[in-house]
Amino acid sequence: MNSLAQRFSNNGPLAQIGKATSLVSEDDDFSDAAWGSEAGFGSVAKGVPTFTVPNVPDPTAFLRLHTDDHADPSCRIKIQHGTTTLAFRFQGGVIVAVDSRATAGSYIASGTVKKVIEINPYLLGTMAGGAADCQYWETYLGMHCRLHELRNKERISVSAASKFLSNLVYSYKGMGLSMGTMICGWDKTGPAIFYVDSDGTRLKGDLFSVGSGSTFAYGVLDQGYRWDLTDAEAQELGRRSIYAAGHRDAFSGNTVNLYHVKEHGWDFIGNYDVNKLHYDGPGDVAGSPGHGYGYDVRTVGLSSANPPAAAASA
Amino acid sequence: MVSMTQQPHQQAFNPYTENGGTILAIAGADFTVIAGDTRQSEGYNIQTRYAPKVFKLTDKAVLAVNGFAADGNMFVKKVKQRLEWYRHAHAKDMPIRSIARLIQTMLYARRFFPYYVYNILGGIEEDGTGAVYSFDPVGSYEREACRAAGAAQALVQPFLDNQIYFKNQTPAPGTVFPQHLPLATVLSIVIDSFTGATERHIEVGDGLEMYIVLSNSSPTLQDLQGLRGVEEVTSTNDGERVFIVRRELKKD
Amino acid sequence: METSFALTGKGYVIIAADTTAARSIVKMKVDEDKIKALGPHLLMAYSGEPGDTVQFAEYVERNIRLYQIRNTYSLRPSAAASWVRRSLAESLRSRHPYSVNLLLGGYDTASYDPHLYWIDYLGTISEVPFAAHGYGSYFALSLLDRYHNPEATLEEGLETLKRCIDEVTKRLVVSPGKYKVKVVDKDGVREVEI
Repeated sequence: MNSLAQRFSNNGPLAQIGKATSLVSEDDDFSDAAWGSEAGFGSVAKGVPTFTVPNVPDPTAFLRLHTDDHADPSCRIKIQHGTTTLAFRFQGGVIVAVDSRATAGSYIASGTVKKVIEINPYLLGTMAGGAADCQYWETYLGMHCRLHELRNKERISVSAASKFLSNLVYSYKGMGLSMGTMICGWDKTGPAIFYVDSDGTRLKGDLFSVGSGSTFAYGVLDQGYRWDLTDAEAQELGRRSIYAAGHRDAFSGNTVNLYHVKEHGWDFIGNYDVNKLHYDGPGDVAGSPGHGYGYDVRTVGLSSANPPAAAASA
Repeated sequence: MVSMTQQPHQQAFNPYTENGGTILAIAGADFTVIAGDTRQSEGYNIQTRYAPKVFKLTDKAVLAVNGFAADGNMFVKKVKQRLEWYRHAHAKDMPIRSIARLIQTMLYARRFFPYYVYNILGGIEEDGTGAVYSFDPVGSYEREACRAAGAAQALVQPFLDNQIYFKNQTPAPGTVFPQHLPLATVLSIVIDSFTGATERHIEVGDGLEMYIVLSNSSPTLQDLQGLRGVEEVTSTNDGERVFIVRRELKKD
Repeated sequence: METSFALTGKGYVIIAADTTAARSIVKMKVDEDKIKALGPHLLMAYSGEPGDTVQFAEYVERNIRLYQIRNTYSLRPSAAASWVRRSLAESLRSRHPYSVNLLLGGYDTASYDPHLYWIDYLGTISEVPFAAHGYGSYFALSLLDRYHNPEATLEEGLETLKRCIDEVTKRLVVSPGKYKVKVVDKDGVREVEI
């Protein structure tokens, strides 16, 4: 009875998926060909966002039971979590910096993750939360941005792109998606950043940091941030802030990936090993302090003692 | 008498189990090795000593699956079906980077009822280089040079990091570490990984299957000549070549 | 949320603690002093379970004072820290443990250097150049990694402390309004305005 009621209700999980699917595939001219032609073979339903759902009264609870590693560390399917990402707007464009660590429980599943998703040559998305959720939906966003260009002979604005993503993930609200992303780019209005998460929050802003290490990144970022930062200073601030999070947050680290969005689109600035940053600094790059970022490296040989002159000589 | 207010209750639905075993893949300059042990277990019981976890998809792509065996077998079956459709439609094999993206979408289509499977895809890219793609159960993926997954991943991956990426090693003065290792070296690293994992992990053992995918006219072919028990499993004769090498692992 | 910071500099330790005393969602008091002077050159900031905090701080205060009366000289910072830690550790193993987190800062008049100890309610101790307790630590520690200077003058040290307070005020949802700041150096302990 319970499951029967669910099936015909308007707000049960199955109905929600139905709604999300119809929302996602509402434009008729977008077929599954975009996701690889089946050339008349198979019977895969239209559009890729059709999802298999377990035949249980509450599919969301089912998913949570088997994937939520915060509630139950011994559950089988470990979804990658733990991150520090940041982006800020300044006089010279947008700086995007991220770490590269992926963790499953306490195991470091990867130290080489690309957490900046290159949606197209002038739009970047960052990845925090579920790695697959971000990768998949931001790729999907990229396809729709291209369709927008073809239909309107004009690039999509950062605002519209982020709103598309926001509406999309909001239609899956409560189903267990987990993403906290920043959509960054340059459009007619200039540099822009939008924070979008799987709760459905969408915020326009100058400076954001997302992930388990975000508080540590904010500590350094806020204190060094000014609108009139030079390009070199801004890049150094992004790099230094991710290092700070990599140093203080166990779920963040390995390497820093740095991007700079300007009027012509984004540039990849570099990849920096956090351990190297600690001891040697970023090397011969714009804005480098010329020494390691590490506290112990930076303060070697310094002392807080203040003996009086007589005692010091004795 | 049964109370009228009693609600019908349902047994918790658990369609998953863990079947042990370990898989790994290493990419070389113009080849890739994809390997897995053949033990299948549930808890402390060994169900079979020979259940392959590594499957040839095309002459340039091999897929290793680990986790829940039933899901893994079903998933491989569905990937193979999609690749066959592709072959019929386009009269060629799907390139490996496209297979990687296909696997992502197939895994993500089950986002709310996941395949409990860790996939590693190995093979040859269109430019002739060796490639390894690794996936999480819901489809996030990344191209890498090497990856271990499964029961003994925490034992094998650090060994690979040290031997393939030369992590925590300093080169002798005046020398540099090689970017890519020769096939003979890679094969011995793979064998050592599995003998090591067999020694220290109860769910690893019985047999080892290593698939070797060679790019078109690779000089590495010579390295294979003297190899014991090597068997060619290539389907066509004008492209990449696939070989399989089997080794015994301890059975206790 | 309760937040406290401390940092060392050239010949001094600065300790800052917020001044709110909260119960449930209510601020009961906005000018509570949570930093005690335990001796002529020793300061202690305390936070944690209401009730436990003041009881434990006064217990420590009186015992350190007793030592001074009996011996005519006071404990050096390292000795005081050890004694305080041991008291917490013994309390933890009793029927009713004190749930108190501490920052203990002192100036050692014998070796002419400042010392700062981070101590938590489990009896964990660590001598550090800077420290923080509470949610503020999530923002302040990375900032202090970046800006702290062991040879900073008092003015520079207070400037760095100001950064910590500003950051927490800016980013922490339940940030405290006011802080009391005290300094210990060769001249003893005193309160400073920021």
